[in-house]
Amino acid sequence: MTIMDIIGSDVFRRVFFYLLSAVGLYGILKKCGKKPWQAFIPLLRYYYLAAAVKKEKEGRVYVLLTVFQLAIDYMTDLIQKGNPDPVNDRNYLLFVALGLVVVLCLMLYVIRIDAAICEKFGKRKRWIWLLEFAEGITYIYFGWSKKVQPVITDEEETEGARVSGAVIDVMKDGLTVNIEKRTAKVQYKERVLLKDIHLAIPKGHMVLLLGGSGAGKTTFLNAVTGYEKADANIMLGGRDLYREYESMKYDVGFVPQQDLVRLNDNVRLTLADAATLRLPGNISRKEREKRVNEVLEEFGLAPLAGTLVEKLSGGQRKRLSIAMEYISNPSLFILDEPDSGLDGVVARGLFEKLRDIADQGKIVIVITHTPDRVIDLFDDVIVLAKDVDRTGRLAFYGTVDESYRFFDKTGMEQILRSINQKDEGGEGRATEFVERYAGKLMPAEG
Amino acid sequence: MENKNIELTENDMSVAGNVKHKGRGPQFVIYLGKLLRMFIYQSDWKVLPMAAVIAALVCYVVGDNLFKTMEGTLLGCFAVSCICIWNGFFNSIQVICRERAIIKREHRSGMHISSYVAAHMVYQAILCLGQTLVTMQVFFLMHVQFPTISLVTGIPVVDIGITIFLTTYAADMLSLMISAFVRSTTTAMTVMPFLLIFQLVFSGGFFQLHGTALTFTNFTVAKWGLTALCTQADYNSLPMVSLWNSMEKMREVEIEGQQPIKELLAVAEEQDMKEQILLECAKNNQNEKYAATQDNLLNCWAKLLLFIVLFSCLAVGALEYVDRDKR
Repeated sequence: MTIMDIIGSDVFRRVFFYLLSAVGLYGILKKCGKKPWQAFIPLLRYYYLAAAVKKEKEGRVYVLLTVFQLAIDYMTDLIQKGNPDPVNDRNYLLFVALGLVVVLCLMLYVIRIDAAICEKFGKRKRWIWLLEFAEGITYIYFGWSKKVQPVITDEEETEGARVSGAVIDVMKDGLTVNIEKRTAKVQYKERVLLKDIHLAIPKGHMVLLLGGSGAGKTTFLNAVTGYEKADANIMLGGRDLYREYESMKYDVGFVPQQDLVRLNDNVRLTLADAATLRLPGNISRKEREKRVNEVLEEFGLAPLAGTLVEKLSGGQRKRLSIAMEYISNPSLFILDEPDSGLDGVVARGLFEKLRDIADQGKIVIVITHTPDRVIDLFDDVIVLAKDVDRTGRLAFYGTVDESYRFFDKTGMEQILRSINQKDEGGEGRATEFVERYAGKLMPAEG
Repeated sequence: MENKNIELTENDMSVAGNVKHKGRGPQFVIYLGKLLRMFIYQSDWKVLPMAAVIAALVCYVVGDNLFKTMEGTLLGCFAVSCICIWNGFFNSIQVICRERAIIKREHRSGMHISSYVAAHMVYQAILCLGQTLVTMQVFFLMHVQFPTISLVTGIPVVDIGITIFLTTYAADMLSLMISAFVRSTTTAMTVMPFLLIFQLVFSGGFFQLHGTALTFTNFTVAKWGLTALCTQADYNSLPMVSLWNSMEKMREVEIEGQQPIKELLAVAEEQDMKEQILLECAKNNQNEKYAATQDNLLNCWAKLLLFIVLFSCLAVGALEYVDRDKR
């Protein structure tokens, strides 16, 4: 076999183009701050490339489709070997048709990834053609030319607001929250959703949870209730909520934003079923019925006991939704926008009811987007804001009056505007307040 | 605002601490009760008249030759399997996904997914049983001639009823599983036609399949339903009429001035050989998988039961991840 034979062989050609692409990819991944050796991993290297240009999902699908295509190729080869006339074989045709569909999908995903590469390196979309038809050479140009550099976005360049590092002492008669961070995998990449949140709420307090869209309010509540655990220490009445979650979850009432109740059941049975689920198992039927009647009375639902839920008004439905959680007499009561869709008068009535619940010695935490009309009913306010990393941070916790002084504002909606990002119509001062509040917490640590 | 620190007793703050709550059994009763109420309030009862209408339509079209001839039986049993799958699919395709957010809330409050799915299983079994009874009643009213042999219970109609019930219920559990996997009714209703087509195409009896495609048939409810029905109909001992009917149609055909088919038919009729010819035709088209044996029928039922268990377990598994749903 001569050298020309080797160069002309199919294997040589494959290895050559594979290495050519790998060398180019090595440079691209390096420029993007990723592990460059991943460029040599067969197949998966395209996933890493896609991830480097923020197209992880596309990269994942591309790899899956390629595996699928390889399987189809294998099957068609197998049929071809066993059948001299595969064109008349139905199975062969089925696999060929499937293969065509997969190839079309692959092309679509390759174009998406190539478009993202062009965007990442600030090149025009016409470069997609070169990436498509002269992959290796173009990768080498993107990866090794000093003229071609990835565009760094503001988000990638900045660092988050400083961390207080404080730890709040456990309050025996109340809720103590010490969240270091709450992370989540977003498309296989770890993202910090909440960070450095430390506060203690005494019993009997009704607390407003304020924050712009995406500030992590619901994430915070889920972390506090133990529903989605964070890197945190949550103590309720001196007991570790995370450690004793299974028994303590009944001591936390969470009323979601939507009225998640079955419409085709009546009010009494809905509450009775909630009572059976939430109340301790050793309570007698008589006691349970008594509790259902009490709650029906307390929430003004007694006259509607036999009515189907679908016949209730928005306010009545919301009261039922709250009553379902209240029935187990929880110490911590959390409500996610209970006033959404309610008119001012009905909403006010609802918040007064929540104030009554807090006055019974419960801790009530409420998210609302119209806080100013009911702010007189609240004791404290928690302000969450997105820092430059888009991580939810604590911008303030204290009494309502203190919050006005801290933000130098006269209303909650003004406070919200001051922490909202500029592209949301706000003043974009979230990081400033987050850092100032973190600074306030720091001495407390010493 | 005045600080409203209120002292509560230790008991207030640990109301739920170390206290046992209702377990899987009582929760199952709660959810079964809810579902039974839905039967009335949510008009789930409508599936029963719907089953009657579909059964009547099928009887009208294929009822005459059902359990009488090979072709009529295969076609009719296929149609009956289709009814079962259709009924089963429509019973439960939306039942879980339409209240997924409620399930998430209740799971958070201590609901056991296994109790919830078990309640659905029992409720759906009641619906399927109702549909089976309605379908059978319609068959009687439409004078469908049922097989006279029984392979398992000793009562042929009961055997057929069990097969219809198991096929409907297995299809029902399949769509219940889909309903547990998908997150919206729109997705469920998009997936359903594909499932339905898959079940019908890969039923393995009505459409000619080869090789790998034939293997797929083992994974369909339709195949085992159809096989069970054909087994009970004693398919292999039924006469085959296709050839005779074709010859009847060609009776007047002339070949070189003669009418050989007419003559052949005349001889056969004269000597009373029609039945014999039909049975001879059938002999060459017998199918081993439809052999009228108890083992064969029990095997089909076992496969359907296996599907029921498998699909319900997968439904539980899928719903255990309901907490991961995003808002």
